[in-house]
Amino acid sequence: MFSVDVSSRESLPRWVEYSLPLLTVVAALGVSAIPLAWLGVSPLQSYREIFVSNPTNIRGIANILVTTVPLFLAGLAVYLPLRAGLWNIGAEGQLFVGAIVGSAIALNLSWPAYALLPAMFLFAGIAGGLYGAIPGYLRAKHNVNEIISSLMLTFTATTFAGYLLRGPMQGEGGQSATEQLPTAARLPTVGHPRLHVGVVALVIVAVLGYLLLNRTRLGYEITLIGANPASAVQSGISKYKTYVLVFVIGGSLAGLAGIIEIAGVHGRLFEEFSPEYGFTAIAVALLGRNGVFQVLLAALFFGVITAGGTTIAVTQNVPTAIINVIVALTILFLLTAEFIKDHRLTISFDRSSGTGDRGMEEVS
Amino acid sequence: MSMDDILEIENLTKRFGDVVANDEITFSVREGEIHGLLGENGAGKSTLMNMLYGLYSPTGGTIRFKGEKRQFNSPKNAIDTGIGMVHQHFMLIPRMSVLENIVLGERETSTAEPETGFRDRVRGLFTRERDRPRKRVTELADSYGLEIDPDAKVWELDIGEQQRVEILKALYRDIDLLILDEPTAVLTPNESRKMFETIRQLVDEGLTVIFITHKLWEIEQMTDRVSVLRDGELIDTVETDGVTQAELAELMVGRDVLFRLEKGAVDIGAPVLEASGLKAEDDRGIESLSGVDLTVQEGEIVGIAGVSGNGQRELAECLIGFRPLEDGRIEIKGENLTDANPRAFVDAGVSFVPEDRYEHGCAADLSVMHNAGSKTYRTDQFESGRYFLDYGDMAAYASDIVDGFDVRGVVDVTETPAGDLSGGNLQKLILAREMSRDPDLLIANQPTRGVDVGAIENIRRLMLDQQENGTGILLLSEDLDELLDVSDRILVIYEGAFVLETTPEETSKWELGMYMSTGEPPTQEPPTEIAEVSE
Repeated sequence: MFSVDVSSRESLPRWVEYSLPLLTVVAALGVSAIPLAWLGVSPLQSYREIFVSNPTNIRGIANILVTTVPLFLAGLAVYLPLRAGLWNIGAEGQLFVGAIVGSAIALNLSWPAYALLPAMFLFAGIAGGLYGAIPGYLRAKHNVNEIISSLMLTFTATTFAGYLLRGPMQGEGGQSATEQLPTAARLPTVGHPRLHVGVVALVIVAVLGYLLLNRTRLGYEITLIGANPASAVQSGISKYKTYVLVFVIGGSLAGLAGIIEIAGVHGRLFEEFSPEYGFTAIAVALLGRNGVFQVLLAALFFGVITAGGTTIAVTQNVPTAIINVIVALTILFLLTAEFIKDHRLTISFDRSSGTGDRGMEEVS
Repeated sequence: MSMDDILEIENLTKRFGDVVANDEITFSVREGEIHGLLGENGAGKSTLMNMLYGLYSPTGGTIRFKGEKRQFNSPKNAIDTGIGMVHQHFMLIPRMSVLENIVLGERETSTAEPETGFRDRVRGLFTRERDRPRKRVTELADSYGLEIDPDAKVWELDIGEQQRVEILKALYRDIDLLILDEPTAVLTPNESRKMFETIRQLVDEGLTVIFITHKLWEIEQMTDRVSVLRDGELIDTVETDGVTQAELAELMVGRDVLFRLEKGAVDIGAPVLEASGLKAEDDRGIESLSGVDLTVQEGEIVGIAGVSGNGQRELAECLIGFRPLEDGRIEIKGENLTDANPRAFVDAGVSFVPEDRYEHGCAADLSVMHNAGSKTYRTDQFESGRYFLDYGDMAAYASDIVDGFDVRGVVDVTETPAGDLSGGNLQKLILAREMSRDPDLLIANQPTRGVDVGAIENIRRLMLDQQENGTGILLLSEDLDELLDVSDRILVIYEGAFVLETTPEETSKWELGMYMSTGEPPTQEPPTEIAEVSE
């Protein structure tokens, strides 16, 4: 008979801390091999396509980068509040709000591109930020659980989008979608027809995000509030201001992600334009929780899986749902890793099959 | 090793990376004795005890308990073998009741018979006997004089009461050896005396006690033998009779220690703090300050004496804008800061040393640098453009105060988490942060609680230096020697109101103690035993 003993641990060996994200990914891929094999596809060949052949051709690279943009921006929308000790589960909703407001501007103003695009981005960002401010404000002022409020607001936003797309914003043709955006509202592409200029946001936002968290006073305040709110408040840091700000900045990044996706990829707003980027963003933020650049790497990783998954769906003839399986497994393993970080597992073999209460005596 | 040794420790070693916390420690504890363990903060006492309690696994050496070689993998393991421990930082679940905390992890079924069959085991998983544990807890509490309401929630209790719960929790598990990690660090003199009676009662009942402390007179009063630790090494184990406090202090610190500080005359200036009619509620919403008036002047140390839980924490937190006032007015240097936020108080030159170092004093996971800068990061000291912060300057500043205030255990200010420092060194870091900004008013709540003799001397010295610089200091303490030593004026707080205002010259420890515990003037002559305890 063997027993598994779980005890909490007080310190984590360095090598575990650093190798954990990598091990998580490897374990998730290992388990994902099972459904792949079950579908009659060689997991090794699939992984080779996802991780080797797809990222080495221009079309694949374009797809990966374009997918990474919303993942990274929404990932930061989760990550910033996380640094302050809050959970923004509502990045998806903020992304929708940004997409709706940005699209509405694009469809209603016949401005030239140099004026229209900035207006779309500005107001999409503001809208996302304001939408994010709601759970931030409620948490800061009235101690309303931000996990629940941000999640509920996501459903509100997606449902509202559904109403708009079947009502006021519906285009010709009877689908629940808007008209095509005017050309002036489309992001130009570079090098490849799918590679829109929105990908520069990856670099710009990563640098700005890094500077914000690691070089500014606000970043210091966020870090302190996240580590111990009571001690931070006694140092004169405003919990209210910090909570609202991280949600506003996060929400505006998610809003930008929404409009970039519309203006750069789809060209019009429709109900399923986001394959739940805002929820995958939670995994992105968790996987990359050590810093902004790690969030970028995590977003890139999920970008590779999503883009590669779409490719193997075609070449290997597997359902696209397999992407969701891999992503979901990665999230599951992330949570497990979280547990391993805090607890020590001891598996012991015990021959005197647990009778007395004097416990087992082990000599190792 | 004689026959009556209950615990024998041989060459026990613990390393954390390159740091040797315990270096080949060898000593033994006799059955039925009170064995003192003396050492400064960071000497390795807690590490040693955590190995005995199964929290750390030794790097080398052996532990024998009741004649058998043991290896403890977890506290449960240690408890099952018969070793219990009451930690310095309590391990209680605030939201649960006293009774629930005590029986936590012990699953007793409704049948008196032990679980045998499969069905009993399953039933054991889902049922919990309520009446028997309650009866047992009440009995234990009565017989050891540990009064406690079994249904009170732990978060409602003050620190002294929480400690009683910890002790009951250990006793409930039928242990043979009880480790008390600085039990009196959080208690008032009267509570300590009660505690000592309890310990004697425990020993009379056949228990063996290891008593960790750095208070010398406690060793002298309480223990049969004492082992002294210094820098992770066992210096000596001696019989307590026939050793003086001075000898013990020298063993512990490795040098002579000053017990009394010279307090120079300081000019007292204009008021820095004027508070009137302060009313506030505690976390439960119960009134804990009932309209107090308080003035602190430049260069004055005002001591507040009181049994923990009489409104000290609320008073301190109101005076830094952290706790909302129900009523009253606060002025700092003549500026009205009533209902202002903590930031306004910080900017007005108010520094604060909170009672709970870990919960309020620092962010334990963040680096020493992050913690050192938290009161000064807004000043132009670390400025780099309007919004930017110069972390290089902040690290240099952190290194300066770490050196200047002799904070030990810091490997790299930007890497070492504040939580990795020992209690005394963390306290020095917090004091360094609060004092190095040269405040006009310093509010210090229990600044020397749980800190060793050497560091206490340092901390009191620092406060006196600060006073000479013209800082007004409000010192809330349960250590009456400390209050009598450094205060210019002493106020006694009892149930949220001041019941006595006096000076160290006019009062005595005994009088203060009586006011603290009853809120009224003494009605009898001082007993002689207290006089003994005080020295």
